[in-house]
Amino acid sequence: MTQPTRHLDPDMLNAFIDGELSSSESHEIQQHLADCHPCALHVLSATQLKAATARSAQRFAVTPDALARLAAQLRPQELKKTARIYSFRSITWAAVAVSLVLAVSLIGLRQTRQANALSAELLDQHLAALSGGASPEVLSTDRHTVKPWFQGKLPFSFNLPDVLPADTTLKGGDLTYLNGQPAALLLFTIHKHKVSVFLTQRSGTALVTLWPRIRSGFAIHDAMTHDLRIVAVSDVNPPDLDLLLAALVQAQSPH
Amino acid sequence: MFRTQGHLVDLVPPPGFRIRTYSEALRTMSSAPGTASFEQLALPLLPSLYSHAFWLSRDHAEAEDLVQETVSKSLRAFDSFQADTNFKAWIFRILRNTFLTSRTGIAAARTVFLEDHPDLLSTADASPTPEDILIRLDNQAAVNQALDQLQPLLREVLLLCDVEELKYKDIALVLDIPIGTVMSRISRARRALYQLLQPQIGESL
Repeated sequence: MTQPTRHLDPDMLNAFIDGELSSSESHEIQQHLADCHPCALHVLSATQLKAATARSAQRFAVTPDALARLAAQLRPQELKKTARIYSFRSITWAAVAVSLVLAVSLIGLRQTRQANALSAELLDQHLAALSGGASPEVLSTDRHTVKPWFQGKLPFSFNLPDVLPADTTLKGGDLTYLNGQPAALLLFTIHKHKVSVFLTQRSGTALVTLWPRIRSGFAIHDAMTHDLRIVAVSDVNPPDLDLLLAALVQAQSPH
Repeated sequence: MFRTQGHLVDLVPPPGFRIRTYSEALRTMSSAPGTASFEQLALPLLPSLYSHAFWLSRDHAEAEDLVQETVSKSLRAFDSFQADTNFKAWIFRILRNTFLTSRTGIAAARTVFLEDHPDLLSTADASPTPEDILIRLDNQAAVNQALDQLQPLLREVLLLCDVEELKYKDIALVLDIPIGTVMSRISRARRALYQLLQPQIGESL
């Protein structure tokens, strides 16, 4: 508090938090901060203001529609300029990737609370399945039994993978509701860990980002296909969970 | 929490760490001739351009038009783009110029430039205490409101710095002002934001 050294002037402080200083200048400031409480507080406050500004500014994201129109503007020129289908395709994929990233980021901040509610709901349902209080409607390890059972009970259909990842077993299925939407609940085990997989229709309702991806020690991972959103909840090793998700996503594509 | 000063220092991002990743990515793309087409460079920036255009115009339809026009202008001028310059700064400059010549932009250009009128700033010189600000910074609604109220010219420089993570020299290129003005404008913008956050602190105490 009673440092005889000069305090940081605002321009210097800003240049520091914006990463504009050389490493020796930064080092000097870091040493000053270690001894000067008021300046350290200023830097902390300014760093947080910077982060808060960035969060706040990202409220107004482009809608997927507008992004698609803007990306489409780039496409014909690409064809004219290089006339290479390869490039065209990579641009298309990039556009798809951008729209996915965007779809997720769009809802990001505004729906954090909603996302929390959703992940809580997912976890509740998974825990209910774990407790085994109510056994699933279809108890079968045969995908040819499980899949047809859902037909006519849900406003969408889905496929089950021909081959599941190692030591992964289908245990059964049930109908449930998730975020107000009808959902298929599939129960699997991976290395004796129980896994709940929820499939919902992707269209219609706003997508809610799942956050956090780990809640009370359970991993909550999700994936999108063209029509479906697939969310898996389990305490199994997350990479194993992702393998199952990948197999399910793969099964939805017609190839 | 504030007493562990060593920890405080750790919270500060290492200089340039996020900025570097972006420019490195661009440099990699630019270094291989022919691989960095206009589309490859522009496509990932569309969401940023749109968001920035929205902040300039405060209108979704206008933001989309601005980005459309920016893309077509920069595509036509792409031959004059030099691979060793920052593509993002280059296209943001075109976006800004497109905005300034739009109807909304012409109206906005009448905004008084604070640097030219230092006397207008005299009231903004009382610094709020950082302790007070820290209390409010986790209140996103308060920050949103403050950013909405911030003078557009000051907000613009902060968006380029904090959101787009452009270097001061690139911001200078976008805004067509000397780098010293960039620094002072950023200082002013942050001080003004602090000030806008301050009245709400009084309410909460």
